[in-house]
Amino acid sequence: MAEVGSNDYEYVEAGTIDIKDLPPLDATTNKIMKDELTTGFGLTVFYFILIFSIPIMNWFAPEFAFKKIWGGMTVTWFVTTVIMMAMAFIIAYVHTTLYEKRIKKYEVANK
Amino acid sequence: MMKALLEPKMIMTIALMGTIVYITYLTKKNTTASDFFVGGRSFGWFTNGSAIGGDYLSAATFLGIAGLTFQLGYDGAYYAFCFSIGLTLLAIFVAGPLRRFGAFTVADFLAYRFHSKRARLVAVAVVLAISGFYAAPQLLGAAQILSMFFGTSYEFGIIFTCVVMIFYVGIGGMKGTTINQALELWIRLGAFVVMLIAAMYSGLHYDKILAAINSFSGPITGTSPYALDGKDINFDGAAWTGTGFYFPTFWQTISMTIGLALGTIGLPHILLRFYTNPSAKAARKSALMAIGIASTFFLLAVFLGVVGRAIFISGTASEEVMRDLVLGGNNMVIPTTALALGGKWLLGLVIAGAFAAIFSNLSGLFITSSGALAHDLYATVMKKDITQKQRVIAAKVSIVLLGIIYGALGLLVKDASIGHLVALAFTVAASTFTPIFILGIWWRGMTERGAIAGLLIGLGVSMWMIFLPGTLPSFLQFKIPGIVTVPAGFLSVIIVSLLDRKVPADVNDFMKRVHSKESETV
Repeated sequence: MAEVGSNDYEYVEAGTIDIKDLPPLDATTNKIMKDELTTGFGLTVFYFILIFSIPIMNWFAPEFAFKKIWGGMTVTWFVTTVIMMAMAFIIAYVHTTLYEKRIKKYEVANK
Repeated sequence: MMKALLEPKMIMTIALMGTIVYITYLTKKNTTASDFFVGGRSFGWFTNGSAIGGDYLSAATFLGIAGLTFQLGYDGAYYAFCFSIGLTLLAIFVAGPLRRFGAFTVADFLAYRFHSKRARLVAVAVVLAISGFYAAPQLLGAAQILSMFFGTSYEFGIIFTCVVMIFYVGIGGMKGTTINQALELWIRLGAFVVMLIAAMYSGLHYDKILAAINSFSGPITGTSPYALDGKDINFDGAAWTGTGFYFPTFWQTISMTIGLALGTIGLPHILLRFYTNPSAKAARKSALMAIGIASTFFLLAVFLGVVGRAIFISGTASEEVMRDLVLGGNNMVIPTTALALGGKWLLGLVIAGAFAAIFSNLSGLFITSSGALAHDLYATVMKKDITQKQRVIAAKVSIVLLGIIYGALGLLVKDASIGHLVALAFTVAASTFTPIFILGIWWRGMTERGAIAGLLIGLGVSMWMIFLPGTLPSFLQFKIPGIVTVPAGFLSVIIVSLLDRKVPADVNDFMKRVHSKESETV
């Protein structure tokens, strides 16, 4: 295994170990992973609720989904092709912002 | 001859080719494998974000999304929505850790995660399968444009594009490819913005044209001379603006959503892009920028598909436009709409944009697959002790080989829909590499056997459901089979890993490397 922080990975032979004999992760990496996964998972669940609400709305509440809001623009057309495009960026932006905040917090804690 | 050369489409295409040749010449010095495969890891978030956008927004987006919207209405627009999800998930779960890992190719991830040559070999096979699926529709788009607007044969178009790509990637490597991709992205985004302005100027506002399409029902005037049966084509606007036009059931829609939403995380040419950033922070910013660009692009592509449909049913388009919309099929809606909106100059800009999209995406596929062949297969498995120079030569030879293979695949898909073929590539990626990368980065319990089983079962089930749907009961026949293939990939990895239990002894070091803040700025 290459050193953390080195530029490229080096191939090193390593054996296997039964999962029950595997030592726990060090506390710092464990915390980073947990924080990262909690944020990412929370945002993903929220995002997927929005994503699946569109086909559910289209198939099970078509009178609302295909209601015209202006001209020929329906609720579902607007949400699918405009709102959700913006949402893809907003979710990623929130994730990146929270990640940068966490990195700063770790740096302050280290100092 | 001189008159033909002064045509706007010829001027713009030659200008694009000239720029590519110049950039490729400037970046031709690739002395190490790091230079050739990952551009020396020297690209900042703006250049790399543009290049990721360039890689992601292929002919499927530039030509295919508008074509699918034109053809399928709301169900076509739904493709764009599904394509837009994946980059966000990739930014959340994979982008940062993948850069911290720091290797050359997608197969490197498996090889080093499990210290396994077998895993590397299986990954190479999957990379080549996905890249082949993805490259064929790009070549189809290039050949159709050349055939329709420059009068060449389909076969010539395929060969010409492959030769250009061999030169472009073979000489420029990742450095030339990245700079060209970044530049090409802005060319096609510019083309879309000009088309948007032209549509607005012509009074083709979104709400207004959707209302006109929705209320249209009956034969479309002016289509009979080009229709196969000699009669005007019938069109039902209400069905087109509703759902169920292409995906007849709720579960068909859900299946596509799963396949396309998770596909991006498993696309080798997109994953490779994150190795070229100088740091994990830059990788995340690159992804964010690419998402912003991609979302804008999808929004514009859907709108332009609707504009194309509105022009088609209006009865006011020229004979040339009506002919191209009927004969060109849904893949050629963007160039034809450009011709209707802004004449020859806008058509020229759009053709340059389409070539930019095709070259940009194909170059990413060529460089990824050459990494799989030259680095993963030749340099690492078959012949270990070779110099950096020999590695670069092997990569260049593999690019010529790939040009031949992709060319042959391009010839097989002449009548297919670009957008749909790419959607199938997404599904294969979602069922193979997506489980490997998500679980490999976040779950210590994943084993070598689990990874190999996931790749093989994900690939096998996808291929079966895509190519042999007739052998399945009707409830398992999906246009995009993500609802079955993606869980099959994930479950295979999890179940086999839980049964196997033998994880790499250094898995904790691996997790520390890909997650710890110490490796943030490599």
